[in-house]
Amino acid sequence: MSRGQNTGGLMSSAGLVRYFDAEDRNAIRIDPKSVVAFGVLFGVGVEILNILAF
Amino acid sequence: MGWKEAAEPVLTRMPAVQRPEGHVPFKRKLGWTAGILVMYFFLTNITLFGLQTGTDDFYGQFRSILAGSQGSILQLGIGPIVTASIVLQLLGGADLLGLDTNDPRDQVLYQGLQKLLVVVMICLTGLPMVFAGGFLPADPAVAQQLGVGQFGVETLIFVQIFVGGVLILFMDEIVSKWGVGSGVGLFIIAGVSQQLVAGLFSWQELGQASGFFPTWFGIVTGSVPLGSPLTAEGLQALFLGQGQLLALVTTVLIFAVVVYAESVRVEIPLSHARVKGARGRFPVKLIYASVLPMILVRALQANIQFLGRILASQLGEGMPAWLGEYNQQGQPVGGLFYYLNPIQSRDQWTWFLGTTSAEPWEVMLRVGVDLTFMVVGGAIFAVFWVETTGMGPEATARQIQNSGMQIPGFRRNPQVIEKVMERYIPQVTVIGGALVGLLAVMANMLGTIGQVSGTGLLLTVSITYKLYEEIAEEQLMEMHPMMRQVFGGGD
Repeated sequence: MSRGQNTGGLMSSAGLVRYFDAEDRNAIRIDPKSVVAFGVLFGVGVEILNILAF
Repeated sequence: MGWKEAAEPVLTRMPAVQRPEGHVPFKRKLGWTAGILVMYFFLTNITLFGLQTGTDDFYGQFRSILAGSQGSILQLGIGPIVTASIVLQLLGGADLLGLDTNDPRDQVLYQGLQKLLVVVMICLTGLPMVFAGGFLPADPAVAQQLGVGQFGVETLIFVQIFVGGVLILFMDEIVSKWGVGSGVGLFIIAGVSQQLVAGLFSWQELGQASGFFPTWFGIVTGSVPLGSPLTAEGLQALFLGQGQLLALVTTVLIFAVVVYAESVRVEIPLSHARVKGARGRFPVKLIYASVLPMILVRALQANIQFLGRILASQLGEGMPAWLGEYNQQGQPVGGLFYYLNPIQSRDQWTWFLGTTSAEPWEVMLRVGVDLTFMVVGGAIFAVFWVETTGMGPEATARQIQNSGMQIPGFRRNPQVIEKVMERYIPQVTVIGGALVGLLAVMANMLGTIGQVSGTGLLLTVSITYKLYEEIAEEQLMEMHPMMRQVFGGGD
């Protein structure tokens, strides 16, 4: 049994956005840690701008 | 050349969060989920740079379903994801896409299309919000300071909410791939729980309305004046006013009804074709399509209201009265958009208590429209949901067949299993979808503790229940690595 099938079944309990196992070789892959790092830096950056502006 | 070939170079190159290699231990999964949750709360507390203070929430009462927070980087919340999902569901449900989600190549295209649509929706929601309606007004002082003018600051604000919208999308992907449950569910739970806890425990010194417990502490100690419970006014204050007893009853009732409805199911017995004695059951739950289609129906209503508000801000006085009349707070009080606006709280329909100035027939028409929308919409989106997520009779029959199980007393053949499934799944889906719609309307009408919208609470309880099931499953897998094969997770 391919794993893709099973994931389809489990996905029902997950979210609105569906993710499959299949991935294209061309796709840009991002490390989750870099997403978190970017998010935190972005938040801190905007906050610093806010503090500087007022 | 079909659209697939034309769009392939773009769709296959959409950036995606890396998949974990191999099995992620349960503790690590919890860690990622908690980390994203903290990041979410952090970002909802960052005010947009260049924003004028004191603005009305554009999402209004829909906020508890769409998550995020007014005036913050996460202004858009999961709105764009939900709207993109509506479009995909409608296209997929009507089979206009021609994508087979069992084919790996089509899966890649589907994922890419999904992401592209979310980005499009971020622009479609964000651009009018910033540039057209004045819902996120730029601060003139900042414009002067930077010397970029009003338009420059507006562009800055748009860039921030755009980045916030994309961040939410990737945070959802991280939770789905590395954590437990889904990001969308997590963010809804987070917002509603926060409001619920505030509604229960918050006290006035925090600058918010007094919560349920502090108020009752005041009533018991006599510092909060409450009329005699023997008079009509006293009773009203006790149940509807400060006492909030009705809200408490509704809140508890929603919890109980959802947990009960989650456990109602038709079980189809299964036995293993070769291993004698190995038995199982395939549960067809009453809420087979889960409550997620409900988010889609509510979001559709939300989008109609956004359209109304943007139209009102553009046309101003020129807006015809039959289309919509708006009050100072930007709430529709008449016209088409009033009737299409779902009931969000008790005081919007209790005309006999004098909480609304609308005529009884107007209120009843509005309730009727809301009820029809939710019940019919709930059923339709539930059917589409089952189709697009591979929970339909054909897909489940194939799944059962492939796991080596069969229905005792029937031939071991996917078509035969499909026939049996067809007796239950379509009917249960429609009934379940309509029922959840009805529940959502009633929950909204009765009002809950902390002014959480009833639908929001309904979603939260159901998503939490699902999360609990998933965690239980995870723990089972941790204990017995063999179980992983049964559930098909990780390798």
